[in-house]
Amino acid sequence: MKQILVIAEIFAGQIRPITWELAAAARKIKNSPPLKQLPPAIHIIVPADNPTTLSEKIAKQTGIDVIGLQIPELKTYTSEIYIYCLEQLTKKMNPSHILIAHTSQGQDFAPGLALGLDAASIPGVNGIRSDENGLIYSRPAFNNTRNMIVRPTSNRPVVLTLMPGIFKQDGRKGGKPGQVDIRKISFAPAACGKERIQHRRTMRKVCENQALKEAKVIVAAGRGIKGKEDLKAVFNFAQYFPAAAIGASRPLVDMNWIGYQQQIGMTGATVAPKLYIACGISGSSQHLAGMKDAEFVVAINKNPEAPIFRHSDICITADVLEFIQAFLEASG
Amino acid sequence: MKILVCIKQVGNEGEINRFDVHALEEALGLKDQLSARLSKSVTVDVATVGPPEASKIIKRAFGMGADRGYHIVTEDPEYVSSFVTATRLAVVAKKIPYNLILTGIMSTDMMAGQTGPMLATILGLPCATAVIKTSLPTSDNLIEIERELENGFRDCLEIQLPAVLTIQAGINTPRYPCLSKMLAVSQKKIASLTEADLFPEPIEAREIYIGLEQPEKTRSGRELKGSLSDKAEQLFGLLKEKDLI
Repeated sequence: MKQILVIAEIFAGQIRPITWELAAAARKIKNSPPLKQLPPAIHIIVPADNPTTLSEKIAKQTGIDVIGLQIPELKTYTSEIYIYCLEQLTKKMNPSHILIAHTSQGQDFAPGLALGLDAASIPGVNGIRSDENGLIYSRPAFNNTRNMIVRPTSNRPVVLTLMPGIFKQDGRKGGKPGQVDIRKISFAPAACGKERIQHRRTMRKVCENQALKEAKVIVAAGRGIKGKEDLKAVFNFAQYFPAAAIGASRPLVDMNWIGYQQQIGMTGATVAPKLYIACGISGSSQHLAGMKDAEFVVAINKNPEAPIFRHSDICITADVLEFIQAFLEASG
Repeated sequence: MKILVCIKQVGNEGEINRFDVHALEEALGLKDQLSARLSKSVTVDVATVGPPEASKIIKRAFGMGADRGYHIVTEDPEYVSSFVTATRLAVVAKKIPYNLILTGIMSTDMMAGQTGPMLATILGLPCATAVIKTSLPTSDNLIEIERELENGFRDCLEIQLPAVLTIQAGINTPRYPCLSKMLAVSQKKIASLTEADLFPEPIEAREIYIGLEQPEKTRSGRELKGSLSDKAEQLFGLLKEKDLI
């Protein structure tokens, strides 16, 4: 029987919540029209040096059968251990689909695993549907302005990395837990024999920005701000709102115009204010992941095609600085 | 030490994918420091896969300080499987025993982020993605790097060379191409390799491209109309109504 395999995301010994989204997506694939006639089995694979407790928790929460992949050498994630051990395990399992989180970890090992399995590889999947030839997948392209639709060539397994926040957990409560099966695979590649990537430490650059997390209003600046000195206008704009915090998209932080603790997005803070005003932010999926839970979103951008407009309540096509000036004048 | 940087043309003719520019800057920075501090000789080569006009990005890379360029000339449709690109680049990467292979974390057009890690797998090398810091290698066979995780976390890794690293934006500030180097470009050799010579059998793509579509809206996206001051007044009114001002 064909198998849908989910690779649970484990970070610092904890199950990352995206694991539940991957499980939901696996069920969606299993029940999709092209596969309904001959539904594949689903297994969740939990790689860890001691996977029993994590596996039981996942089996209970999802009701799906779990394979605890015990890798004695796995103290902390490295791509080479993951790729080697997952390849050893999965190549014997006849997988049709392998679901991995589109996170820093998943993106790091999924392409290598796909090649090892001679599989197709579709990264950043944000939609799954079917046409007359089977399942097709959408993924962002062209600076998030378009979705690209692709399918694997026939009879190949496909490795999919799934965008976080798209496939909602199915809210399963109670029910029969899945079975847990522990399998041990040691990292012992024939080619080099030893680890070539040594994990030294995990560190955190800065602590969470509590002010940003708690702010009712966030005024955030992006690349549409042409110079560092123009940020002043955004600060002035923010002052207009009581207790507003300043946020920024990644490029401004990369250019050192503003501190990392102001960054909103997948690699920065995740926020949920009542009002989010995006000033000159194009709206990369990495930024959207950090602000999609805002209650009301206003976007100001010169480019009417900017992806942020698809994820805003109010769209204002204008130069940010000119608009801010007009707003401050209008408000007296 | 020999470094190879894989670069790609995106958007306008002659424009290098911005993440690849960071990768090239990182290589050139390592070269500058290794030669100044440790008097080591370092070469930085660039390789690209693309249509004939993509040779312009190699010239641009020469302008930044690259030593040699390889261009695998292809006439591709709009979608190229990452596996195909990585297979092509592997031909160049195998020519010389490079100590370090760098590329951008992704291209801004395809946004797949797979070419680097797939190239590593084809070459049998270790790979780290989303590299946000490199330390100066003290030998030709070890490098310490930091890779970016979510929420401000970073992993510090020690990696045996040769290795492949994919470079995240924010790691450095790329230099501008130098005009005199750009002018001297014609003397430098770009090795052009044709697809047909390298691969008598076409490489089989593993995905089929179906098409492009507009991403879905997740919110209503009401557009404010009128002049700038009309828009400003409407927004003011709306926020007031919602008690947000």
